[in-house]
Amino acid sequence: MTMLQHAILVLLLPLASAAVIALFLRQRGALASYLSVATAGAIAAISIILLVHGERDFPNASWEWLRFGDFTISLGIKYDDLAALMLFIVGFVGFLIHFFSLGYMHDDPARARFFGGLSIFMFSMIGIVLADNLFMIFIFWELVGFSSWLLINHYHHKQSAADASKKAFIVNRVGDFGFLLGIIMCYWLNGAVSFGELAKLGETNHLAFSTLVPLLLFCGAVGKSAQMPLQVWLPDAMEGPTPVSALIHAATMVAAGIFMLCRINVLMVADALSVIMWTGTITALYAALCAITQRDIKKVLAYSTLSQLGYMVAAFGLGSTLQGGHDALLTDAHGAVIGNASGFIVLATGVGAAMFHLTTHAFFKALMFLGSGSVIHGCHHEQDIFKMGGLAKKMPITFFTFTIGVLAIIGMPFLAGFFSKDAILYLAMENNKAVFAILAFTAVLTSFYMVRLWKITFFGEARSKEASHAHESGLVMTLPLIVLAVLSIAGGYSGVFGKLAGSIHEMVPEAHGSAHTTILLVSLAVMTIGAGSAWFFYKPSINDTLEEKSAGLFRLLGQLKESFDNLYDYYVAKVQQRFAMLLNFLERVFLADTIIQGAARVVGYIGLGARALYTGSLHVYVYWFLLGAVVLWAFATGVF
Amino acid sequence: MIGSNAQLLQLAIVIPLGAALVIALGLPKRFGTKLAGAAFTLPALIALWLWAQYPAEGGTGYHYLSSVDLGLGSFGINLKLGLNGIALPMFLLAAIVGLAAGLFALRSQAERLKTYLLLLLIMHGGLLGVFASVDIFFFYFFHELALIPTFIMVGIWGGRDRNYAAMKMTIYLTVGAMLSLIGLIAIYVKSGANSFDLIELKRAIAAQGLGAATQNNIFGVLMFGFGILVSLWPLHTWAPLGYGAAPSSTAMLHAGVLKKFGLYGLIQIALPLLPEGAAHWAWKLALLAAFGNVLVIGFVTMAQRDLKQMLGYSSVMHMGYCFLGIAALSTLGTGGVVLLMVAHGLSVALLFMLATSIHHRTHTFDLSEMGGLAQKTPVLAAFFVAATMASIGLPGFANFWGELTVFVALWNVSPWITAVAVAGVVVSAIYGLRAAARVFFGQPTEALQRVTAAHPPADLDWVERLPALILLAALLFFGFYPKALSQPVDQALTPASTLFRSINHHR
Repeated sequence: MTMLQHAILVLLLPLASAAVIALFLRQRGALASYLSVATAGAIAAISIILLVHGERDFPNASWEWLRFGDFTISLGIKYDDLAALMLFIVGFVGFLIHFFSLGYMHDDPARARFFGGLSIFMFSMIGIVLADNLFMIFIFWELVGFSSWLLINHYHHKQSAADASKKAFIVNRVGDFGFLLGIIMCYWLNGAVSFGELAKLGETNHLAFSTLVPLLLFCGAVGKSAQMPLQVWLPDAMEGPTPVSALIHAATMVAAGIFMLCRINVLMVADALSVIMWTGTITALYAALCAITQRDIKKVLAYSTLSQLGYMVAAFGLGSTLQGGHDALLTDAHGAVIGNASGFIVLATGVGAAMFHLTTHAFFKALMFLGSGSVIHGCHHEQDIFKMGGLAKKMPITFFTFTIGVLAIIGMPFLAGFFSKDAILYLAMENNKAVFAILAFTAVLTSFYMVRLWKITFFGEARSKEASHAHESGLVMTLPLIVLAVLSIAGGYSGVFGKLAGSIHEMVPEAHGSAHTTILLVSLAVMTIGAGSAWFFYKPSINDTLEEKSAGLFRLLGQLKESFDNLYDYYVAKVQQRFAMLLNFLERVFLADTIIQGAARVVGYIGLGARALYTGSLHVYVYWFLLGAVVLWAFATGVF
Repeated sequence: MIGSNAQLLQLAIVIPLGAALVIALGLPKRFGTKLAGAAFTLPALIALWLWAQYPAEGGTGYHYLSSVDLGLGSFGINLKLGLNGIALPMFLLAAIVGLAAGLFALRSQAERLKTYLLLLLIMHGGLLGVFASVDIFFFYFFHELALIPTFIMVGIWGGRDRNYAAMKMTIYLTVGAMLSLIGLIAIYVKSGANSFDLIELKRAIAAQGLGAATQNNIFGVLMFGFGILVSLWPLHTWAPLGYGAAPSSTAMLHAGVLKKFGLYGLIQIALPLLPEGAAHWAWKLALLAAFGNVLVIGFVTMAQRDLKQMLGYSSVMHMGYCFLGIAALSTLGTGGVVLLMVAHGLSVALLFMLATSIHHRTHTFDLSEMGGLAQKTPVLAAFFVAATMASIGLPGFANFWGELTVFVALWNVSPWITAVAVAGVVVSAIYGLRAAARVFFGQPTEALQRVTAAHPPADLDWVERLPALILLAALLFFGFYPKALSQPVDQALTPASTLFRSINHHR
């Protein structure tokens, strides 16, 4: 089998799995789960084969899907280093989460639907990764939105889950509104939507640039990667089962926005990039502030995910605004110059830093989400961290692996997050001091809320019956934790990331000399300040220490989170729905009844049609109406 | 082979009409339903066969042509049947939806079932005839043949407000049809072809050309005449009311297929014969459709509490996309409309059918009195969610391709109108998901608990599942393999692209 056929197989396998489950295995949860997990295993294996084999950019890998005149939409496969890295993350982390779900979802009565949903998700996500043009990426983009809806809505008897899934879908559609317009505009501007053709146009300086195109396309990323102001759906999406949160709402789907930005790098212009940079930076800070007051273990992780996604988006925006003169500072050599417009040079360092952090984040965030799943499972579905406590001894493997996750995200030296976060901070320091300051402060907050979560959950005494009866999860669930913990340590070294990422690795900016020292000191300082203050500040208690000591600040942070939800709720209930009711009222009064009854009355007054109307003979009435219409028509066209 | 396929096309139309005649002559009910079942199935098989046989390089011309002189030759009227690349998908749509509606009706336990089936068969025969007619007199005649049973069925088997709904539908649709007739006769007179044969008309008009004023006037008449039939805003108010009252199979066939008559007429007759008229009206049509059908009706749909009315309004909204595609005056836009017509026909028929299935279990169409039904009827919930996703344009279902191509085509008319149209996608997601959530998710309302305590709801049985599967399979097939539809359409529209180019050049 050629490598191209491998790639096609990896796309179609999960679709087949989902179809078989939907058609034949609805009542057979166990069989459905084995099929889905086996499929995910095969995907992981093939993605590694493809990665190792080394063949990239298969020729003739595009097929016409639809044609009208000279407009065509194709289905094609673009397997370059970027896709290879992303496919590995989706395949391998996806497989671990599937495997974990075998244990976590074992007693769920709707297991078949769950695993069928996971397979649909894998199909859609792999479609995004392998897509070779914007229309195709949009198609699978919408499909991951659907699978996300399906899986958030897993416990559909809960009103909160039903609402959360609806919100996620609609908010994503708002982002996709801009995304689709951007694709259409790109098509009419450049006559091309395939990444290969766009790159070729860029190389020959034939690409038509517009600030609007990248900004509209970025709307898609704002929705999918939950950037402000469309961040509101992601915390609610935690209503889904925990493996779903790990797979879709932490490691893969929400990162698709960053992946997509890297794909359309060639279309970027400076103004768009600074919008992207600031959106990411503000989201990173905002979400970190929200995370501090959360009591629900999954909500803390959700806000943390938002914040880290903001980091990645900011990294993308930062790196690529580097001016031509700056590239001497960077080790970046390969494919650095990828576009040229109106005098400035767009560089790919942002792609490197963003994808690096995306990769390490996928490892440690999936690890922590699965760890939280293990905790929730062990505590009989208790999710409030203040009702936990003392789990370190009862759940040693979960504790140990979770600790590695925490250390990785707060940037402990020699763990994966340290390298990738430093790359971003370095980029910010070189380019924009304000962004650098905000991101560094965000890093303080990150260590603060993470250590808070870690201490409250695992240390002290058990503070509820559930927590005191907690037990370690089985091997099915702890094994994925161990593997992910290993990756959370090793993923940052060039020996590992370099193998996974190929040329993307060479785009990662690396500090040297004094810059290197500065960055190292800054990152160690922010980590120590955040982690230390949280460790000494929070007391194991049933109540939040911050709430007790500084109620005002606590409320302020709480309102920060609430304000957006309240604003949108107000809009939906008071503006949108009332507007709809008003239009409906006008429709009923003026269109539905007045015209027809008015016409009837006119006929009635004339007296000729009255009897015919009320005796039920419609013909006379119809002809009168027709006559009236003709007269009106004659007026309208100016015959009289 | 071509000869026998032409006869098959004739047969597809004769079978339902002949079966209706036999039933009318007094066949016992037992045989009547069997005959009706066969008469709904055979045209679908024939349509599939003709579609499979249709040449890949079908070109612009008609295939499976046949002509029967019914003694009206002196008026230039012949029963001339055939399919071109635009008619083929529509004919297939009519056959598939007819089969699903027929199968659903067979087990509907309607009172006076025989009469109901008889009328439905006439409607089905009429529908197949509309899209197979090359002669525009018969094109119109078959439409009327299908329309009259619609009124009767709404009036007799309809639900709430059926008398008012039937009256209103009759008035609006009769007026619409008559305006269209005036337009068609005007084309006949002005062309000087002395024939209603569309091929002859095209030839005659190509030879002499029609003046700009003539084109503008005739296109205007046709646009509003056909527009009423397709529920162009603000002449749409018959639709939600009518569909709200119509029995399910009637609503399936009317909203799914018969309504497309007007759009089909605009694409097959008005656009190629009156290109300058189309260019004259395109901008106005686009404005009405974008702000009226898509935006205003989109919000009105959001405010509905009655499931069937909501479906009726959403269907009016989606017709807006079809008008927008026509107003784009391009191969891409027109082709998109054909895709959208087929897809919308399949999905709206499925939704109307499932709405009835929901009603059987909840005894209400009121969305605020439902909830949590998915716990009792997971299969029904899955079908409804799939149909909703199709109708809100999720990729993987046929509707997506129609909407996408219309949006792309629309950009050339105006990026702002494109933005309004694409915003409609968000609006439809809101009302679609909201309806699905209110019926199926969360906990049941007290009202529903009382109903289900008295009559425990059963999940979808095979009688309901089979027609639903047929429609869903078609939606998915064309969703994954759109070329099966787009190829013949593209072939048929090839010369139109040069035509459109010259119009756009003049603008």
